[in-house]
Amino acid sequence: MTPRALRCMLRCDAARRLGDPSSRRFYFPSPASSKKAWDPSLRDYKYWNREESKHGEASYVLDMSPESVQREARILCLAASDDVANDPLTKPPSGSLPFGSRLLSVGTQPTDFPDSLIGERPNVLFVSPSCPHARLQLPLVVHKFPTIEWIHVRSAGIDFLESDELPGVAKRGIVITNAKGQFSSSLAEYAMMACSYFAKNVPRLLRQKGSRSWDDFDIEELRGKTMGIVGYGDIGRATAKLASVYGMRVVALRRNPGKSEHDPVCDEVYGTGRANLQKLMSVSDYVVCSAPSTVETRGMVDAAAFGASKRNQVFINLGRGPVVDEDALVSSLRDGTLSGAALDVFATEPLPADHELWGMDNVLISPHNMDKTSTFMHEATEFFVRENLPRFILGDGLLNPVDASLGY
Amino acid sequence: MLTKIPAVATSLLSMSAPPRTAIAFIRSAASGFDRHRHHRLRSASSTTRRLDDARRANATMDFSSSRDRSIYWNREDGTSSSSVDGPSSSFRHEGPIVKEARILALCDPNDVNNEPLYAGTLPEGCTLLGVGSSLADFVREGDGSISGRHPNVIFVSHPRPRETLLEILDEYPSVEWVHTRSAGVDHVMSDGLSNSHVRLTNAKGMFSSTLAEYCMMACSYFAKDLPRLMRQKANGEWTPYPITELRGTTLGIVGYGDIGKACAKLAKAYGMAVLGLRRTAQSSSSLSSSSLSSSSSSSSADAYCDRVYHGTDGMHEMLSRSDYVLVSAPLTEMTRGLIDGEALSKCKPSAVIINVGRGPIIDEIALVEALTNRTIRGAGLDVTTVEPLPRDSPLWKLDNVLLSPHNMDMTRTFMRESTEFFVNENLPRFVRGKTLLNPVDKSVGY
Repeated sequence: MTPRALRCMLRCDAARRLGDPSSRRFYFPSPASSKKAWDPSLRDYKYWNREESKHGEASYVLDMSPESVQREARILCLAASDDVANDPLTKPPSGSLPFGSRLLSVGTQPTDFPDSLIGERPNVLFVSPSCPHARLQLPLVVHKFPTIEWIHVRSAGIDFLESDELPGVAKRGIVITNAKGQFSSSLAEYAMMACSYFAKNVPRLLRQKGSRSWDDFDIEELRGKTMGIVGYGDIGRATAKLASVYGMRVVALRRNPGKSEHDPVCDEVYGTGRANLQKLMSVSDYVVCSAPSTVETRGMVDAAAFGASKRNQVFINLGRGPVVDEDALVSSLRDGTLSGAALDVFATEPLPADHELWGMDNVLISPHNMDKTSTFMHEATEFFVRENLPRFILGDGLLNPVDASLGY
Repeated sequence: MLTKIPAVATSLLSMSAPPRTAIAFIRSAASGFDRHRHHRLRSASSTTRRLDDARRANATMDFSSSRDRSIYWNREDGTSSSSVDGPSSSFRHEGPIVKEARILALCDPNDVNNEPLYAGTLPEGCTLLGVGSSLADFVREGDGSISGRHPNVIFVSHPRPRETLLEILDEYPSVEWVHTRSAGVDHVMSDGLSNSHVRLTNAKGMFSSTLAEYCMMACSYFAKDLPRLMRQKANGEWTPYPITELRGTTLGIVGYGDIGKACAKLAKAYGMAVLGLRRTAQSSSSLSSSSLSSSSSSSSADAYCDRVYHGTDGMHEMLSRSDYVLVSAPLTEMTRGLIDGEALSKCKPSAVIINVGRGPIIDEIALVEALTNRTIRGAGLDVTTVEPLPRDSPLWKLDNVLLSPHNMDMTRTFMRESTEFFVNENLPRFVRGKTLLNPVDKSVGY
């Protein structure tokens, strides 16, 4: 029997068994049952972390037993055609995508996808931020291809897709997943570096270097200090993990504080709300803002929050610019409420050349690149191809579900 | 014996920047790791004899020549894990006082960091006889002269104490014990001190975690290409560029001691691989056969270090595998000029060298050349051969150098904490005849 015939036979076999739930086989523990090392209170933890999670489990199973295909994946890719970060999907290195999946077309708007494709019943949509006006195009594409069941967003942030139509998309039963956990450790490294940058007074070191002056001065330790994390998700947890090894005390703010009650790297967790945020600001020597930008979080860190800041606080934003009231931030830096800030994200990116932040000595500005390793976007696409796509094909739960109504 | 080094080497040791010919000599001496091991083995018996004599003379001073690691202080653990004497925080005040501590402080009398010694309540049995920065300050005529009171302890917090200390030891032969407020003792060591019977202890472990924080920051500084970020900021330029992660890279530690271990602990949390270079294979006895082995690497030293190397070949191999190199060794005859042009040539072109040990360990001329020609990526230097760094040093203007004025362990309270350590930890041990913490092995200089 030729390989093609074999695959055909297996596919028919799989299709036949689709209607029979009792024959669904699970060759590996579903993500729902695997407990995460440090969030034991979270029973069905479906989130991916690049360092902690097992790699390639699902694709391994698929390679071993192709007859466990429960459904095919027929993929549309909403992205710029020259986006090489999508190569693991558009130009797979092994020559083919996982067994049971096909890439139908790549485009940036509904008209790029020929009408003939409607008959092919694409069921997976892969969205990458390189698609211009993605927030407009996404609902249109979904409308054109109503057979779509699953949308995977290549990045962690989905605010670029935010629109009035998005919750409607979700209401139709379409599952949305993203790249949560892909970039967390590199951002955690940046957060610790930013803390140390101010603790060891690198701005002063650089000034002294410029003037060739050898003037020893006292520095601060991070050990024993308190780090406050606004938005305690995957990035927050990765940062807390490092901060705790440094001997820092970690307090965190999240929508579901109960989920972090037994978290070994977080000493105290608060729920959301202005009072809680101000409480966090008042106890933290270093604040790391890693919250996503949603309707709830926009402008959350405002003048009142900075007004409650602990003396000589350092503020670090590596989530999204709009979560912070940038004018309040700038005034807090100017009047000394904050001793320094490290910002990787801004309300407007690129940061306008005439913005006063550029000229402030105690501000570390980076062009939203502190998670941009040379391979990170490839890895994000690979996550889709090697982790979530096989899970979809095997009929198992998808990783990193997004709640469209919450916006993250 | 190491103490019988020719006069030329002794004079070289007191120079701050040895010229090239001297480097060749020192390097040949340093590269003979095996040779020195054999030297020490041959001399071990005489060392043991000396210690036996000392032990007989002063039964209360117990010091093992084999590096009992349990008697080293670490600030984060808060205690030493001395198996000899039990947990430190409670025991040190237990037991009868068997002798007095009569202390001379070779210090600046106006140094407020020493307040726990000058003005605080000293432990029972301890008296401060005098504070001074030279022998003249201590020698007094008439009643109450210090020599009449037989000082037996010297506390040193003086920038250049080497000669003065010898003078004081000459003047007061009753001194048994010298404690330095610093961790480095290169500014104190001399032949005279090594030959004398006095016990030397230091502040090892007091500053390690702070330096570990600096080490990780220096690694990140280059991983995220902060020099580039600074240039872009100066120009108001927004240009995203790729950064590298520390995760998955390798940290090689030259001199894997307390500071090295503290750095390794952090590096491991970041997901780095850690390699260490040590003088000897650490085991329960320095005379074990493993220290005789000529292999350049051995199994891991502890939970944080993946592989330990020894000797020049070991060092070269470790350097060739390291993305970040931390120099945290003490300055001794063996380590001076250790990181020379040849060692630097073994480094990866992407390597970053971080020095928190002592400047003279690295051949600064070769380092500047490597940095200028970009045969290594960059350097984070908290210590330099000459401090303060002279204004005409090329290091100032190199973009890929992070310079700090030997202050990366200098918190507001660190010196005071070190004095407190002497007062609260070692003095009570001394008067009760218990093992002192942080002994320095004078024969190897750290």
